[in-house]
Amino acid sequence: MSIVALGIIIAIKVVVILAIILGIGAYLTLVERKVAAHIQRRPGPMVVGWHGLLQPLADGIKLLTKEDILPSSANQVLYNLAIIMALVPASLVFAVVPFGPEIHVFGYDVKPILTDVNIGIIMAFAFGSLAVYGVALSGWASNSKYALIGALRKAGIIISYEVVITFAALGPIMLAKSLSTYDIVMAQIHQKVWYIFLQPISFVVFVFALLAETGRVPFDIQEAEAELVTGFTVEYGGMKFGLFPLVEWYVEVLSLSSILTVLYLGGWSPINIPFVGFVDPLFFLGPWSGFIWFIIKVTILFLLVLWLHWTLPRYRIDQITTIAWKVMLPLALFNILITAFIAPLLRG
Amino acid sequence: MQASERTLNEIKAKLPYVEVKKDKLLSVVYVQKELLINTLKAIKEDFGFKLFIDHSVVDTLEAQNRFEAFYILYNVDTKERIVVKTRTEHSLPSAEKLWFAAKWAERECYDMFGINYEGHEHLVRAFMWDTYSHHPLRKDFPLQGYETVELPSLNETVFGDTLSGTMNYRRTHTYVPTLKDLEYTERNRIKKKAQVVLNWGPLHPGTHGTMWFLFDLEGERIVQTDVILGQLHRGVEKLAEHEPYQQFLVYTDRMDYISALCSNQAWTVAVERLLGIEDIVPLKAKYIRTMMSELQRINSHLLWLGTYALDLGALTIFLYAFKEREKIMDIIEGITGARLTISYTRIGGVRMDLPEGALEVIESFIKFFPKELKDWEKILSRNRIWVKRNKDVGVLSKEDIYFYGLTGAVARGSGVFYDIRKLEPYDAYSMVEFDVPLGENGDCYDRYLVRIEEMKQSIRIIEQCVQKLKTMSPNEPFMAESQDPKKLKLTLDGIGLKVPAGEIYSSGENPRGELGFYINSKGGLKPYRVKIRPGSFYNLCVYPHLMENRYVADAVTILASLDPVVGEVDR
Repeated sequence: MSIVALGIIIAIKVVVILAIILGIGAYLTLVERKVAAHIQRRPGPMVVGWHGLLQPLADGIKLLTKEDILPSSANQVLYNLAIIMALVPASLVFAVVPFGPEIHVFGYDVKPILTDVNIGIIMAFAFGSLAVYGVALSGWASNSKYALIGALRKAGIIISYEVVITFAALGPIMLAKSLSTYDIVMAQIHQKVWYIFLQPISFVVFVFALLAETGRVPFDIQEAEAELVTGFTVEYGGMKFGLFPLVEWYVEVLSLSSILTVLYLGGWSPINIPFVGFVDPLFFLGPWSGFIWFIIKVTILFLLVLWLHWTLPRYRIDQITTIAWKVMLPLALFNILITAFIAPLLRG
Repeated sequence: MQASERTLNEIKAKLPYVEVKKDKLLSVVYVQKELLINTLKAIKEDFGFKLFIDHSVVDTLEAQNRFEAFYILYNVDTKERIVVKTRTEHSLPSAEKLWFAAKWAERECYDMFGINYEGHEHLVRAFMWDTYSHHPLRKDFPLQGYETVELPSLNETVFGDTLSGTMNYRRTHTYVPTLKDLEYTERNRIKKKAQVVLNWGPLHPGTHGTMWFLFDLEGERIVQTDVILGQLHRGVEKLAEHEPYQQFLVYTDRMDYISALCSNQAWTVAVERLLGIEDIVPLKAKYIRTMMSELQRINSHLLWLGTYALDLGALTIFLYAFKEREKIMDIIEGITGARLTISYTRIGGVRMDLPEGALEVIESFIKFFPKELKDWEKILSRNRIWVKRNKDVGVLSKEDIYFYGLTGAVARGSGVFYDIRKLEPYDAYSMVEFDVPLGENGDCYDRYLVRIEEMKQSIRIIEQCVQKLKTMSPNEPFMAESQDPKKLKLTLDGIGLKVPAGEIYSSGENPRGELGFYINSKGGLKPYRVKIRPGSFYNLCVYPHLMENRYVADAVTILASLDPVVGEVDR
């Protein structure tokens, strides 16, 4: 493969992934509003477009045309940098997400993953950790006590749950004997088992950490509209304000759900019967069925997150960190111990 | 119930320097100002009148000892109420060591009457800003205030309008606080104890109104809380002195605007008791009032439940509760014609009879509502997060209840049997069956359970009222007939209603605690002095105590579980 072809392929991948992520991210606002509305026995957005289908567009136009307000005592550079620091790392996680199996187009074998680095998982977590800078900077730069408290809360949560999420992910990594996201999925396909069946504890811990990292209920204390009036975003307006929930609630949930799918649900592989094989009701789609399966899994995880968000109350900050350090972390460590005995039994 | 002759005699025997007087409406102990604290202490500790109800002052305008102060106390065990009275020129000893609630009441009297309290820890104005120089509730303060500030209209300054037409525009206005005044008020607060001071309010979604809290923060921990009130102060008590009894009814709507019907009822019953016509109010009117105020109680508790859940992050319960609340609002609108500020009761009855089909609508509502309630309880009551956020948060012991003068669901959540509907039944409450739920631990969770159970009991009361009202013929009167129209004029509009001289303290059980009215009448069309005993005001006074060493997240939990309404706190 020539350098030029490689460059074009990568460019196409970047454009496709970015377009899909940001487009879907915007439309997930509508999904969320609709799901929330139906949980709450009301119709949700119904006016703009058929069943509110154009609502995200209207929201976007509204947010973009708002006056750009800079608080007088804010640090201008950090204030704007915070938005970039929130958006970029969250989107970069998708660089290591494999969306499907290797496909053959125009005479090239293309892996539907932007870059299949051999430390993919570590990269994903590294980018995830970077997200805390966006929050911390926005809280500090806004020069508001509410924003600062919100940012500190978020930083506290991320520090606690980064540790937990990394230890939880160690289980599947040990089973797959690889850090590459692509290889982890391939390992699950070869071993004919989704790791959720071998790693139930670590799966649950990971889901909780996902909720905490993305600031979803019951861990949404950095926003906590009743106490902190949306916390660290309180001084932002217009699209600058709109970007934070977009990143936190949608892009990050999507990226972590994708990682979760890769680690525990066999990535693009169809329905799994443990140690027997895979059943694919979508066989007629040929090689494309993998993409559909991936989308289905991520969608189910996203809906689960929404369901929890609109049902549960929220924890208090001390309770959240207590759960992280006293319950989740010991569980994750215990899981690693068990995995150390299971891993050699699996055929590689 | 007023304190009995026997109790008064015992007090007289123990404290020979006091004067005791008992009439039909009040049991009063008169005492010299110098011996006031000793008397209060003895009555509290030796005679068991532990619960602080209210304290205020009446401006008698007499040359000597102008102000008459009264303390209303309650004995929860023997169910007796007593009033301690003293007279003073301008200062009183502070009772803050005996009851914390007195501290807030004294601040209010200092604000409104300019009484100086000796030994008060932090004597600042309760409602008005600190640079304000008048004392509004004094009798020599005019109702419209002192119009000292020149305020030309926009038409005048921009368009050169000379205001010579029919436009009734006054160029002078009363003084309005500026930002500078508010800053001074803020600086005049309790000495701050931590580096970070978080301004929580006056406009903040968690405060349920315009309350201004100042949290001294040590990280997330709250070291000290200060409350600055008065953002919604409208001088209702001053207005009451200038309104006929019937017309003051509309101001009771606007105090606790969530439970207008209950406030209406409390005021009407107080005036009826003062007139001595409680017995001639027709049974139908009594049942209608009882039923309506129980509907209003459910309505009010639903709003509390919705916002409480919203504060704790459970967004969905809010909409569920509001959906049911909407149904009650529709029922109330159908019967009374109004949704929020209702003014349905009248002295001697109610404004109009129930419309056709009202009872059927209420019946179908109370049939389905318990199922809904059960659903919500499933979502919340056993939910681990909900329990974790509420258990052992904001714990109040029984002694705290007395010390802080707490009433309503807050008192019952701590296991104090204090429900005016049982202790001093008014209207049809003595004729219906219901239980009073009591908590055990006195934390937020118990208060939550108590309020949920109260809704179920309200359903029970409504059921009985509906059954009773169904047996009554539509032709039965809903308004009392005066035997002697020359002496006592009872009409729907209440014009010309003269009330004989006398004084009374009468209270009703509002969803937010005891709403009491101390009415001092010198005879005539208007009351001489009305002191409103707001449940929310005293329930709020425990808040700084509860917030010590709690986290910011608990601020909303505790505030919502105390459930104050600013309209009633500030009046």
